[in-house]
Order: sequence, then C-alpha cells, then structure tokens
Amino acid sequence: MMENNRKLLYGAFFLALLVMPFVLNSRWESVATTFLIYSAVSLSQDIVLGRAGMFDMGHAIFFGLGAYSTAILNTVYGWPVLLTIPVAVILPLVFGILLAAPIVHLRGDYLLVTTIGFNIVFTQALKNNVLGLTGGPNGIFGIAPIKIFGISLASQTAIYYLAFGLLILTLVIIRNLETSKIGRALHYINEDSLASECIGINTRFYRLYAFGLSAAIAGLAGVVFAVQFSAVSPEAFDFMQSVLFFTIVLVGGPSSIEGVLLGTFFMFVVPEMFRQFAEARYLVFGIAMILIMIWRPRGIWPARFGRIPKYFFKEQ
Amino acid sequence: MEIFLQQLVNGLTIGSIYALVALGYTMVYGVLKLINFAHGDLVALSAYIGLVITMQLVGVFSSRLLIIAVVFVVTAIVISFFGVLLERMAYRPLRRAPRLSAVVSALGASLAIENGIMLIWGPMPRIFPADIIPNINWDLHGVYLSLMQLIVLVVSFVLMVVLYLFVNRTKLGTAMRASAIDQDAARLMGINVDKVIVTTFIIGSALGSVGGLFIGMYYRGIYFNMGWIYGLNAFVAAIIGGIGNIPGAMLGGMLLGIFNAFIAGYLSSSWALALTYVLLIIIMIFRPTGILGERVAEKV
Repeated sequence: MMENNRKLLYGAFFLALLVMPFVLNSRWESVATTFLIYSAVSLSQDIVLGRAGMFDMGHAIFFGLGAYSTAILNTVYGWPVLLTIPVAVILPLVFGILLAAPIVHLRGDYLLVTTIGFNIVFTQALKNNVLGLTGGPNGIFGIAPIKIFGISLASQTAIYYLAFGLLILTLVIIRNLETSKIGRALHYINEDSLASECIGINTRFYRLYAFGLSAAIAGLAGVVFAVQFSAVSPEAFDFMQSVLFFTIVLVGGPSSIEGVLLGTFFMFVVPEMFRQFAEARYLVFGIAMILIMIWRPRGIWPARFGRIPKYFFKEQ
Repeated sequence: MEIFLQQLVNGLTIGSIYALVALGYTMVYGVLKLINFAHGDLVALSAYIGLVITMQLVGVFSSRLLIIAVVFVVTAIVISFFGVLLERMAYRPLRRAPRLSAVVSALGASLAIENGIMLIWGPMPRIFPADIIPNINWDLHGVYLSLMQLIVLVVSFVLMVVLYLFVNRTKLGTAMRASAIDQDAARLMGINVDKVIVTTFIIGSALGSVGGLFIGMYYRGIYFNMGWIYGLNAFVAAIIGGIGNIPGAMLGGMLLGIFNAFIAGYLSSSWALALTYVLLIIIMIFRPTGILGERVAEKV
C-alpha cells in the first residue's frame, strides 16, 4: 500500500515536471530549470552529508569545477560542450577524492570548517584569475549550447529537458546506491563509524567513494548549469552557495530523496516567488529556517528506513 | 625592519579584535558544541547600534570620554540581550535535536540578523565619524602607533585578563568549565547548566560587541554583511588556537592578525583571504586540535 502510494506520487511528480515547459512562462521556466539542476546538486550533496554523515560545507566547489571545466574547454580551447562532459565529471571526481583524502577522518565540525576553507580558497582562486583561465571576478561568457547530431539544443525548453534528464539520471544513481552494498555500508558508517569499522567495513574507502561519487554528479550538474546561463562566475560557486546546498539537505530531510527535492523547492523556488519583497524575504526566510528546525528537527520529509519497529529507536 | 615592526603593530591590533570575536565562538562551542554562525552577525549589529548611539550622543555630551564609555556599555548590554534572545529562540529548543539541526538554525539566525540590519540601515556602507577617538599618532623610530590602536590593544588585553580570571577563579567560571567537559555530570553536581549557557552567551556577545565597535572605529566603514567575513576569520582564529580553549582563542586571534598583516604587507592583499584558509587547512590536516589543543571532551 505504502509502496503503491509512493509510486503514484513519483509518477505524478515526473508527469508534472514533463508538462512544466508548456505551462510556465519564460522566467518561471528558467527557475524550474535551475530547480532541476539544484535538485541534482543537492541530491549529490546528500550522498556525503545525509548518507555518509560527513559535514561537507564546500559542495559548490565540485559544482563549480564541472561548470568551469566546460566553460574553459569550450570558450578557450573550442571543444564542443558534449566532449567536455567527461572532463567535467572526472575532474571534480579526482578533486573530490584528493581534497577529502587527508580530512575524511576528521570529526564533524572540523570537516565542516575545512571544507569551508577549501571553498573559500577555490572562489578566491577563481576571482584572482588563476592560470589566466578563469576570467577573474566576471567569470566566463559565451558558452556554446550542446549540439547532438548537428541539432543545437539552445532553446530554453531544450535546456529544461536536459536538466530534467540530469535529475532522472541522478535519481537512478541514488536509487541504485540506496539498494547496493555501498549504500548500506554508508548508512552503517553514518549510524556508528566505530562499530562499522569493527565488523570490517573499510570506512575510509567508502567515505572517499561517497565524496568521489557526489563530486562527479555535482560536476555533471555544473555542465548543465554552465549551458543554461551560457556563462559562469565565481559568485555562483562561492561559500554561500555551499551553505544553500547544505541547508537544502537538512531542511528537507537527510538521506530522503523526497525531502531533498522538497528542500530544494523550499530553499530555492519559494524565495523566487517572493521576489517582489526583495530584501525582506530573507529576514522571514531565516526565521522560517529556525522554525522548521524546531518543529521538524529531522527535516520536512524525514527518511524512513524499512519496517523497523519503533522501539528500536532511541527517542531523540 | 620598519615594515616588519609596523605590520606587527597593525597585526596585533586586528588580531586583538579577532581574538575578542573568537572568544564568543569558542565559549559557545565549549559549552554547546555548536558553531554559532550568528555570532559574526551580532558583531556587525553591534557596530551599527554603536554608530546610532554615537550619533545621538554627539550633541548631548561634550565629553568625548563619556560618549565612548556610554557607547561601549550600552552596545554591550543591547547585544548581550540579543545574544540571550538568540539562545532562547534558536538554540535552546534544539538542544536535544540532531547536531546539524542546530547548525541550520544558526545559519537561519545569521541570515535573519544580516537581512534585518540591511532592512533597517540599508545596503550601502555606513561610515563612523572620524573624530570619536582623537586622531593622534606617535612616531616610535619610524613605526607609527595611533591612539586608536593603543586603545584596542589595551582594552582587549584588559578584557582578556578579566575573562581569564573570571573563568578560572570564580564559581560561575568553574561551573562553565565543568559544563564544557560534561553537561550531564555538571547537572548532577548541582550546576544550573541553563544559567551557565545564558552567561556564556552574555559574555560572548558582550566581547563580540566590543570587537564590533572596534571594527567600526578602526576601519570606519561598516556594511551589513561584514559579519560573515569577520565572523569566519575569528572562527578560524578560534580553531587555530584550539576550539573551546579560551587562551587558545586569544593566541589564535593574535597569530591570525599578524599573519594577515604580513601577507598584506609583503605579498598581495588579494590572496590574503585565500592564504588564511590555506593556513587553516594545513592546521586542520596536521594538528586538528589547534595549537594549544582543544578543551572539549571527545565523544566516540
């Protein structure tokens, strides 16, 4: 019964996303596209933060690495965007593993602070035009649209469906992760890393795996982001952006797909709706974040794991 | 050599300000194990409140010393009130919740305060009047020391000594240290942990407000989102010294201030921020508990 409801809900959700471009005007179609991209990034952030339980507050780095790889290879070296995708996925993956390797053993808050540090160094490097490639504070303009078999996917609707495909791909990856050995290992590490180590789970390997996988997905999302705006700039990947992804996961519900999607809606689309109130909305928004955490400390739509009787859980 | 000494003086000045702000982070972390992201924004708020009070008082009192004293005391009281309010509204309901929920609550509070400042005082930077502290400079063999710098150094030093004595010599300070080590055990020993936490927020916010006023008077330009960058720098200082460790925050603040000043003096200032965080990352990798070591019980 529960499972049927869930299938129905997902069906309705995907159907709604599919017809979106025919209902929305240009501005809202753009918001919807960014919503899809941010959802994918937040879901990838959730692999590290929610599932593996590592407090990563620098996820915008990998999103940015993907976007900048595409931007630089396309505008400076003239690669077609399609060919830049492998680089934009592998580079963040490698960076994710390299950056995480010396720090994955750190306790929660220390990891959080170090990832903030990485993010700030990353944005400063972009702003200071490192290697003369990143275009400084203004970023890079004029990224070409994706071309498949000579058809240029330049229209807004085409990019929307591209982002839709990205979200579907992310969901498939996460669905597979959830039901795989790796997903169970991550879940166990999150619950009790010492106990999981004791039963022979290589915590270090799985933690790095989580970082690598989530960085790769974020990198791919970065490509779509770069194509959507046909420009990249350091502000789109700064530390505040990481805070946004971090909050999306926690407000929505860690390791809950529905939660993260709702979180993205609440943290990104809702502020767009109240755009006419300009500055005032973020004041209300900050207060709303506090209230949500007080009322639902495990997120708006918390994750549920199987049919585990309630008495197994400690009351939090 | 003169550049070296001059940057040392500048670094110690800004380092004292970092240290004052860092104490707020480190004390709250010690007791609650929570990174109080809203602390930096309280610091920014104190600069704005200080500016408003100063402007009101300039015509009323003729004595400059009196104006400065009133500004510092009133701002400290107002910001302490905000600090207690923050703890009451945003952190206390979440004390038994998962730790990250409190972090999100802190981020929400930070966002609310920052944008509250912008709504009231607008997005443009505000400028502190130049003549609150008389513009006196001493030339010590080529190294310049201003009255403002001297005040920052002396006041910070006095406040830190007072805080150190309070934490180590008084009953409430002992209760604070006990709560930082083990809240439940402290409660069993008859310590009113809630009272300790409120005291921590009062002291942390008051010290932060002094830091905020110094930022306003020393740099003169204040802007609504400055809480983030000063807050983050101060937080880095707290970590460099060893989070939860009060002398560590003081040392960390000074070291970070000097480090920043030397980078600005010898290298380029556009990389100063990045290098600060490179330093943080290196310390995190090689000595995650900071220079003096953290005074926070590790829970497995």
